[in-house]
Amino acid sequence: MATVASLPQLDERCIVAEAQTGNRAAFEELVRRYDRDVLRLALNLMKRPEDARDVYQEAFLKVYRNLHRFRFECSFYTWLYRIVTNVCLDHLRRRQARPEDQAPESNAGHADEGITDFFERQREHRPTLDPERRLFGKEIEARIATAMERLSPRERVVFEMKHYQGLKLRAIGDALGTTEETVKNSLFRATRKLRTQLGGLR
Amino acid sequence: MSAKRLTRCVDIAPLLVFYACDEVEPQEREQIDAHLASCVSCAAQLREEQEMQSALVSAFQPADQLDPSGALLAQCRSELSELLDDLSAPPLREHWNPFGWARRWMALRPAWSATGLMLVGLAVGTQVALWIPGREGSFGAGQALNVKAAAPLTNEDLSKMAVAGVNFAPAANSSGTVQLQVRTEQPIVLSGSVDDADVRRVLTYVVMNGERFDPGVRLDCLDVLRTRTGDKDVRHALLAAARRDQNAAVRMKALEALRDSTTDDAVRDTLLEALQHDANPGVRVEAVNLLVRSLEREGPGEPPVPGAVPAPEIAGAQIPPDPSVDRVIRALQGLQHRDPNRYVRLRSAAALRQIGPREEQ
Repeated sequence: MATVASLPQLDERCIVAEAQTGNRAAFEELVRRYDRDVLRLALNLMKRPEDARDVYQEAFLKVYRNLHRFRFECSFYTWLYRIVTNVCLDHLRRRQARPEDQAPESNAGHADEGITDFFERQREHRPTLDPERRLFGKEIEARIATAMERLSPRERVVFEMKHYQGLKLRAIGDALGTTEETVKNSLFRATRKLRTQLGGLR
Repeated sequence: MSAKRLTRCVDIAPLLVFYACDEVEPQEREQIDAHLASCVSCAAQLREEQEMQSALVSAFQPADQLDPSGALLAQCRSELSELLDDLSAPPLREHWNPFGWARRWMALRPAWSATGLMLVGLAVGTQVALWIPGREGSFGAGQALNVKAAAPLTNEDLSKMAVAGVNFAPAANSSGTVQLQVRTEQPIVLSGSVDDADVRRVLTYVVMNGERFDPGVRLDCLDVLRTRTGDKDVRHALLAAARRDQNAAVRMKALEALRDSTTDDAVRDTLLEALQHDANPGVRVEAVNLLVRSLEREGPGEPPVPGAVPAPEIAGAQIPPDPSVDRVIRALQGLQHRDPNRYVRLRSAAALRQIGPREEQ
């Protein structure tokens, strides 16, 4: 008899198998089980709710159409995560190909106001919440967002998954269907580019 | 494994990015630590690396902040459900095509068609407007008038109103602002907090009288009301929607909105009713999930199986077994054998196994 702890795992296999037979209720159960995570990942990577919504729909439709190909060689979650990440990558690539879709340039007006060093300014604004520093924090956020937009889609996804999702490089490689070494190179390039971009604040 | 010794700055510097985010091998870490202890320049570079990474991480806006109310998730679910409906629906066949010849003709002559349509549109636009009586002095062509919930809506207003849109901007302190575009005698925009009497009346009215409103509007109203399930009227409206609404997505969402009130008898009754009588298997599965969740929340202290364990005596008083738990289990047992949908049967069996350990307590 299965132990209580192993039931959820059994249950997932059973739901997936049932959904593979075309049972809509089982598929919707799978959606409900994982869609919070899917939307969170999409929001983290895409930053814009409307893009995250598109990723959500596209990813689950892909799952729906290709579920019969899932062979239980990895967990369903890993498979789903891979699909979502690839859909995000496609969207980011498309976004990069459309100049009008790029994030707006942040206001560089402060460059003339005697603010000298990016890292100095970070130290200043973090401990307190006064309006001037909050405004400053917003400016930094905007600059970081712009710098992130300038990374290649893969570099960006790798950087976000490492630093914002807290995944290990091996797991990122699994999700993207590539090697840990390739992921390492992407992370290195992403960090260097961000450094160059944000160093321009000096 | 290569045993190359890392001693020079040129070898160490590229690894600092990974050292700062804990992605180096233990062996590499030892060598980097040893080098950093004696190299001021690499130590300074590492400090910068760490500061930059922490600055980037602290500027990160977590996804939960982008969708604090869960409204986006609900919208995604509803859209996906519609897409799946479209995918599973059989393709429509055109049996009767009265103007097929006209469409074929127009498809072959796009320029002539466009000119013709423009002329027809111009004629209709200029002539028909003259025939509409009483345009002078009427409210400017359906333009919305901003009213901040000043005049309370009457029951008659409610019975005649149409809701064109619901915008909800949730706030961190759970108050949030709702904007309702309502058409009664004239279009008005009601805006206020969820606790505003008129706003809440409109929302509950829409949910309780679902047949008169678009399912999308009903789903939007549920999104707002789910933030106030503690209120008796709101809960009443949600229960009504869960029992009576024609649209399965709305019923499912109403049930989901009640997920934190499952210990309430009326809510549990509604869940049981959905479990046994709802025509949609998705709704029945949602009911199973919520009922199991409610039993888990109650904890394992109460014996759930009918007549399985006699109630224990504590300080001379006998704790009666909870009859509603009993009903849940009986309903699940029934469903496990009789539900027409195989997945619902499996889900019920799994739910009974999940509840099972309570028997042994």
